[in-house]
Amino acid sequence: MAVLIYLLDESLASEQQFNDVKMLTSSVMFKLILLAVLAGLIYHSVAGVKHLILDMGIGETLEGGIAAAKLVFIISAILTLLVGVWIW
Amino acid sequence: MVTTVTNLGRSGLSDWLIQRTTAVILVAYVIFLTVVIGSGDFQYAEWKSLFSQTWVRIFSLAALLSLAMHAWIGIWCVATDYLTSYVLNLKLGPFFGAKANILRLSFLAASAIVLFTYVVWGIQILWG
Repeated sequence: MAVLIYLLDESLASEQQFNDVKMLTSSVMFKLILLAVLAGLIYHSVAGVKHLILDMGIGETLEGGIAAAKLVFIISAILTLLVGVWIW
Repeated sequence: MVTTVTNLGRSGLSDWLIQRTTAVILVAYVIFLTVVIGSGDFQYAEWKSLFSQTWVRIFSLAALLSLAMHAWIGIWCVATDYLTSYVLNLKLGPFFGAKANILRLSFLAASAIVLFTYVVWGIQILWG
């Protein structure tokens, strides 16, 4: 989160810093850091939505839980891949 | 009577509801930012004017406060589950097991400082 708040801070501070952020996000090292942060956020979000669906009483069985967990992995992997393509 | 003293709502049911409510706000904000940033190649002026709009600032602050509450509840759950005398005794031995309370409270205090810093930092970005 500190990485993301830092980016927001810099990008809004001045036009110079906004362009610096654009420069920074074009470096391979920073893209990897950003992707790692966003992968965590994506997985947490998808797993969180699964919990909200479970709270509604959907899929509250052993089979449902296993299927939902697998689905969370697959959806997270796809979204992370898409974000990776987007960043590069 | 000994009861919980470090969880956000001082009640499990309250924490449960706060965790869900803040989750919905956070996921909405993440989707909002994804759509905005994905909608085109931003220049500084557009980006700046977006965050100068009152509703964007309100939404951003709601997400930031949600983040702090959501993270506190999550961290509290992990800390009170695993940073206990039983677990530390088992995993690290009696020396750490005996110091579980001070270790857990230190960890929670450090987390609180980080989260409070995010909130103040965010307010400064949005209105500074």
